[in-house]
Amino acid sequence: MLGRAITFALVGLEPRRVEVEAHLRTGQQPAFSIVGLADRACQEAKHRVRSGVHSSRFAWPDQVITVNLAPAALRKEGTGFDIAIALTVLAASGQLPAARLAEHACIGELGLDGRIRGVSGTIAAAEGAARAGLTRLLCSADSAREAALAGIHAVGVRHIAEAVGYLRGEEEIVPASRTTDPRSPPDLPDLADVRGQERGRRALELAATGAHNLLLAGPPGTGKTMLGRRLPSILPPLTQEEALEVTRIHSVAGTLAPGSGLVQAPPFRAPHHGASAAAIIGGGTVPRPGEVSLAHRGVLLLDELPEFTRAVLEALRQPLEDGVVSVARVGGRGLFPARFRLVATMNLCPCGGRGDPRLQCSCSPARIAAYREKVSRALLDRFDLVVAMPRPRAEELAAGPAESSAVVRARVVDGVSQLRSALPRRTGAASELLDSAVDRLPLTGRGRARVARVARTVAALAGSTDVLPEHVAEALAYRSPTGLTSP
Amino acid sequence: MTVSVVRRGDGSYPALLAQIPDPPSRLWLRGDAPPELLDRPAVAIVGARACSGYGRSVARLLATEAAAAGAVVISGMARGVDGEAHRGALAAGGATVAVLGCGIDRDYPAAHAELAGAIVAAGGLVVSEYEPGVEPAPWRFPARNRIIAGLARATVVVEARERSGALITADFALEDGREVLAVPGEITSALSAGTNALLRIGATPATSSADVLEALGLEAQPPMQTIPDDPVAAAVLNAVRAGAGTPDELSRATGVGAGEIAAALALLELAGAVAVDEGMVRSTIAR
Repeated sequence: MLGRAITFALVGLEPRRVEVEAHLRTGQQPAFSIVGLADRACQEAKHRVRSGVHSSRFAWPDQVITVNLAPAALRKEGTGFDIAIALTVLAASGQLPAARLAEHACIGELGLDGRIRGVSGTIAAAEGAARAGLTRLLCSADSAREAALAGIHAVGVRHIAEAVGYLRGEEEIVPASRTTDPRSPPDLPDLADVRGQERGRRALELAATGAHNLLLAGPPGTGKTMLGRRLPSILPPLTQEEALEVTRIHSVAGTLAPGSGLVQAPPFRAPHHGASAAAIIGGGTVPRPGEVSLAHRGVLLLDELPEFTRAVLEALRQPLEDGVVSVARVGGRGLFPARFRLVATMNLCPCGGRGDPRLQCSCSPARIAAYREKVSRALLDRFDLVVAMPRPRAEELAAGPAESSAVVRARVVDGVSQLRSALPRRTGAASELLDSAVDRLPLTGRGRARVARVARTVAALAGSTDVLPEHVAEALAYRSPTGLTSP
Repeated sequence: MTVSVVRRGDGSYPALLAQIPDPPSRLWLRGDAPPELLDRPAVAIVGARACSGYGRSVARLLATEAAAAGAVVISGMARGVDGEAHRGALAAGGATVAVLGCGIDRDYPAAHAELAGAIVAAGGLVVSEYEPGVEPAPWRFPARNRIIAGLARATVVVEARERSGALITADFALEDGREVLAVPGEITSALSAGTNALLRIGATPATSSADVLEALGLEAQPPMQTIPDDPVAAAVLNAVRAGAGTPDELSRATGVGAGEIAAALALLELAGAVAVDEGMVRSTIAR
């Protein structure tokens, strides 16, 4: 007898169809083997599947069982194949209708008591199933809402017995529907907490509207990190398509809370500066998304930018330019989207005294140069907005609370919709100003393009359909200065 | 790289340098400019390597206006004040001379290799008393400073700590009987301790480029900058002159939002009226 089920393996974010076949024959000794380039976690499925089936009311066939995961050339890892393996064995031994099983894709991990657990990447597998023309997916009840986002009937089951009952037609299960519950906005730190720093706040608003990268430089304690942490609170909600992309990445990375559906809030990631290049960019023997991809459509905050290793800083350039990370490994090549708003902070010198009128900087010029040179010209060029944040005077701190995130967010939402409907166009006078700036300032070709982009955002925030000279002028004020690389 | 040598006793050996107590026996020159460049009226602008934004912008301002009036700006190509002095002269399209404390083929600091190239390309010279291959060493820098002071009719110290190399240059200049000027600084800043001490013992205060040009016997050129015709920019410039230091302080002083302040500052910067450095705004036009 032969049982067959369909499941999906992930290569990066890409689902690959995997057929699970179980073959039973009578032999002298009962045996159970899994073939088809299955990794360790996948080999251990033997134990989980046998115990899971035993602890339900089903019989484990005392025969020679061979399970094949095809195509055999594709490396398979993880525990998501468990229920497909269990169900094919049961189908092969005639305990459930094999034809019905073949209509479903299956994904999920099995517990020793037969319980079914969700696995990472369920939404990606569900999308693969939908693309392969399957209409139903068997998965854990926890991940049914997530799977339903792929536009497939997601049959959520809690236990292997429930799955078998359903396949036999003894039990009805209402598939999870593709709903997005209106969720109250998450509790984020509010911009009203930041006193003073008008210029920094303005730059933050521009970064939110135009998806620009922002570098905040200044002495410690001036609120750079505080501002950066508040960027998510003024971002517009994700579009449906963006939300799906974000959900997919976080599902594959396993950072999705169980039972959650669509991720609607832009993600926020703030890795520590000790993080390795693989953790930031993505990597592993089987490619996994890194922090830059987990921050996709959201915010990546790199606090103390020059403290990150050179490897990390240089590796950041690819995602910053292309919006995508390509991780090539023996275990396959992963392409991960990584379109994020980068907010980075740095001091003006290693001791932190520079830019603070009350402190005397004790750094030698060579030390300052070494500190700043870690942030290469090439990386600095990728920041559209560079803002120095000097220490505010006491009177500013005593000032009343500033605008709240909700007020700023409303302006950002208007600006974003303006940018989406029609890009503001530069007037002749604005182009003239930009050209004269290129002549007079050390501005590279890339720098000029960045200024032009920021000017569009300034115009959109002003509700203007034309980019006027004053918009270009403001954009010029945030250009990345040469002064930050050579003291 | 064109390198030539002038020897003491040659007709082309700089006359002013020949007058100092221990002139170098030969001088290596890098660049296509004739050695006669070293006989033109020259001002040395020197100061701290770890200077403040104030020091940087003053060095640049003085160098730009001195070069625009036809003076050759001499300095030591170090980081900080020296580098800004060379850049200021280049910005005015003037000739500038960098005196090295290492072999003529070296660029020290290495970060200023590009600056050295720009100096030569703009018709200036890089000079040294050391033959190619000599490594930079701390004890060579005071000797280098005697050449800087010796080539210049006047020496301006922009910012200097209490025991700064720039003060050694000033000492040489005094010994050579040349004019010494110092830029007044805050009395509480360690970076101004050296310059304020010079003022105390009788150095001429350099309060504008006119003071420097007077010491050289040159006429000031009318300023190249034109203040943009914009009411916000005018208000911002007034506030900068009244002492507002950061864009946020300008916001408060003028009652204009951060975005408009940024735009006004960019226009003023393009016009050469202000410099924005590490978040601090300074006027670059002498009153």
